[in-house]
Amino acid sequence: MLLHVVNRSPATSRVYQQALSGMSPDDRLLLIEDGVQGALPQLVRYYAGLEGRLFALKEDLESRGLLGHCDASVQVVDVDGFVDLTEEAERTVSWY
Amino acid sequence: MATTEIYRYLTIKKGKYALDPEGYLVNMNDWSPDVAEALAHEEGITLTEEHWEVLQVLRDFYARYEMAPAMRPLVKAVGQALGAEKGRSIHLMRLFPDSPAKVAARLAGLPKPTHCL
Amino acid sequence: MQDHHHYDSDLLVILRHGPHGSSWLKEGLDAALVAAAFGRRVSLLFMGEGVAALMPCQKKGPLGQKGTAETLEMLEMYDIDSLLVEEQGLSCLGLSSDDLMLEVTSLSPPALARVFAEHRLVLTF
Repeated sequence: MLLHVVNRSPATSRVYQQALSGMSPDDRLLLIEDGVQGALPQLVRYYAGLEGRLFALKEDLESRGLLGHCDASVQVVDVDGFVDLTEEAERTVSWY
Repeated sequence: MATTEIYRYLTIKKGKYALDPEGYLVNMNDWSPDVAEALAHEEGITLTEEHWEVLQVLRDFYARYEMAPAMRPLVKAVGQALGAEKGRSIHLMRLFPDSPAKVAARLAGLPKPTHCL
Repeated sequence: MQDHHHYDSDLLVILRHGPHGSSWLKEGLDAALVAAAFGRRVSLLFMGEGVAALMPCQKKGPLGQKGTAETLEMLEMYDIDSLLVEEQGLSCLGLSSDDLMLEVTSLSPPALARVFAEHRLVLTF
């Protein structure tokens, strides 16, 4: 299982498509930095099919005032959770 | 990497040629067989037919790919051009001791190879 | 060419930028060449806009800036022969793998995911 990390918003960048096309069925996706916009109910549709495997970084949501606005299907993790995800994954692949 | 910093000059009968801090020609167009002889002399190398053919392989490599090769691709290029017997690192180590890719690039008038230490 | 052969290399370098616009492509190629010069087995994957790096007949920039086509031709001298292209990236530009300057393997999304899983180290440029 690989952890893919995306730091761009699907509203402005198509990098999310590259991440998705590189993902195996059990890989996980973590949204960080501007990428956390993708956790909003209006944008989360770009990540359809990732239920249970889609994560967003709490600190980045918080700093952008988005913490209470996430779609219910997104699991919010803090930096410690990020570390756990990294440890559980064989490797991490960054998309920026 | 090619640098434009002039550190010293190589002086031979025909003229004076700028060298960078690592002894590579600052201006590639300054190269001539006489310059190669003088650079080789600094390394304590006397150029033989076997040296010249490797220098030619290097100059051809640069003309085609616009880069000086690291050791592995140099060995491969020499093998392709001069035959498997010569396309071996031991042969190049004998001709251009210490660091064949760097020394031979210097004598061939090329910039320092980019992808080796 | 979407066979199931195993990509037995250590390093996957992903190139997602075209030539001339930025230094991303050059830097990605440099990383691949350094790794290869030290004996690592390297695969290159051209994704998205990066597919444009493989267009034939590239020239220097208007101010004489070096491009990357010569470096791509040099890859074989560094024994980098695993050249992979994202199928979607190709069709997005209206190209097929026959239009490119080098022989490449075009990858569907499932094949792409397999490539990621099979490389020990992935660098994205």
